[in-house]
Amino acid sequence: MIALNHECQGFSHIESGKPCQDNSFSEVDPKGIAVAIISDGHGGKRYFRSEVGSKLITGITRDKMMSFISNFGDSNLKHVSFTSRKSVKTQIEDEDFKKQDKIDGAFRQLFGSIIYDWRQKVEQHAEENPLTEKEREGLEESWIRDFLDRENLEKVYGCTLIAAAFTPSYWFAFQIGDGKCFAVNEGGQWTEPIPWDDRCFLNKTTSICDTDALDEFRYCYEGDGKIPVSIILASDGLDDSFGSEENQANFYVQILKSLIKKGKFETEKDIREALPELSKKGSKDDMSIAMLYDEKKLRNMYKIFLQWQIDNLSHHIDEQNQKISEANKIQENLESIDSPTKQNLIDLQYANKDYDRAIDERSRLQERLTTLKEELAGS
Amino acid sequence: MSLLDEQVSVPRRTMTLFFLIDTSGSMEGNKIGAVNDAVSNVLPMLDEISAENPDAEIKVAALEFSSGTNWLYSEPKLASDFVWQDVRAGGLTSLGAACQELSTKLSRSGYMKSASGSFAPAIILLSDGGPTDDYESGLSKLKGNNWFKAAIKIAIAIGDDADKDVLKQFTGNSEAVITVHNIEALKQIIRVVAVTSSQIGSKSSTAGDTTKQDQVIEEVKEAVENIDGAEAASSVDSSSYDDDWD
Repeated sequence: MIALNHECQGFSHIESGKPCQDNSFSEVDPKGIAVAIISDGHGGKRYFRSEVGSKLITGITRDKMMSFISNFGDSNLKHVSFTSRKSVKTQIEDEDFKKQDKIDGAFRQLFGSIIYDWRQKVEQHAEENPLTEKEREGLEESWIRDFLDRENLEKVYGCTLIAAAFTPSYWFAFQIGDGKCFAVNEGGQWTEPIPWDDRCFLNKTTSICDTDALDEFRYCYEGDGKIPVSIILASDGLDDSFGSEENQANFYVQILKSLIKKGKFETEKDIREALPELSKKGSKDDMSIAMLYDEKKLRNMYKIFLQWQIDNLSHHIDEQNQKISEANKIQENLESIDSPTKQNLIDLQYANKDYDRAIDERSRLQERLTTLKEELAGS
Repeated sequence: MSLLDEQVSVPRRTMTLFFLIDTSGSMEGNKIGAVNDAVSNVLPMLDEISAENPDAEIKVAALEFSSGTNWLYSEPKLASDFVWQDVRAGGLTSLGAACQELSTKLSRSGYMKSASGSFAPAIILLSDGGPTDDYESGLSKLKGNNWFKAAIKIAIAIGDDADKDVLKQFTGNSEAVITVHNIEALKQIIRVVAVTSSQIGSKSSTAGDTTKQDQVIEEVKEAVENIDGAEAASSVDSSSYDDDWD
């Protein structure tokens, strides 16, 4: 198993002089236990030390996961089939509350210990680092008072968290807040194994700093031997740049193909170059990524990934063909009318535009498809 | 091979601007004429904002409501493509039905893409009267919609007969209700609100912690001070204008 991670300052943060509030971590220990973690510090002024909060949480989470694995995982998660749990808050809202078993209890204890230690470290950091004059600038009086009185201190350090661990016999992943966790299996199929939480929507997110954070964690685990080939965690700066899950998975396919062809060192360099560019082109936000992958299984998947890209492109070309055909029918119908109404003319105008756009899009997709087919033939 | 070569799409996000237009009988004449004139004139401006914005493209959707509801097109159109079709006045004021209809379209199965591919929409409601249907249940459904909760919401009260309390409930903020008393003010306010909402709504970063809705309100309020016959809702109780729709 191999792990890698990287975070970069977002384009808008560079422009406004804000620090990078994302943090990431990954490692593989000598026993073959691999861990990947990312955290995204909140961007609002109220969360003025969120870059510290995200750093603290990744370190704490790493230690707590290792202790969970050695004290609980090996004896309880082996042979367990894939299970995912929505946040308790979502289960209650959906009237879908699942009876908690021993494994759920252990995860809840893990999350509780992460929250507890993080709050302790936050207190300690606030004690050791009094409010600076620079920090006071632009803060509301009530926030300053809260900080000095140690009220709602965790808000100041607020952040999200996604983590995943692979061991030789099982794996698990958990999350609070936004960002996405993608997994790919040996067949090249992509999934998001951690259930989504609808409270994370546009710029709203659940957070480790919420009073009911313990009920906002969601998670999954599996110990029946089906370990994903790769699991990739990323902050919402990445999601928001791609607009769709398929686009995001396609970017990950590019990374995995690069890992197969060029190896870890070169691919890490490519990721370091690509993320700032992606932030500038896309969301403008900080970006963090952490991933685990099975190098042996991945080695044989180059053609599978290429085929996945080819299938998707072929599907999109079919969609454009459908649009062209529909627009064409409308054009033919409307052009055959002797005395068209104003509405007919407007509809014809739209059909012409739809037709032209679909032709352009199809030719762009076909170029990409040709490149991929050539790559497949040469691989 | 760069990781961001031609095989990777980084599309612009979409910001959809919704016009909800009261086309009840009382809007007949100059009012509806001014709405038609103002919206069709503002579309090229929205297209310009969209073209110059690397972060997002702007799409437009329009719903008219009177005795029933009707979307001008079955999907949001790019501002550059939107051909305004003059709406006509007649019938009742089914605001509740309009809220229900808007709620249905504010979803992935309706007019919205994935949240990660979108900015929150901007919604401009224009009305000159009070609802004649059960607006409360429609509005209650709409208020539970995540897209609506996140949206920039501005209402334009056309004249003193508009039910400003209902418009305030719709926007969730009395300052987001602007009253106009004459044709010229109506035209200017439609332009200001549509342009400001589109400019602010389609930006990636917000100014500090101020919501986009609050930023729009601030800018619109400044503009209102220089428009004869327009006033922010907070000054409505002591209105210095009489309605003049001739």
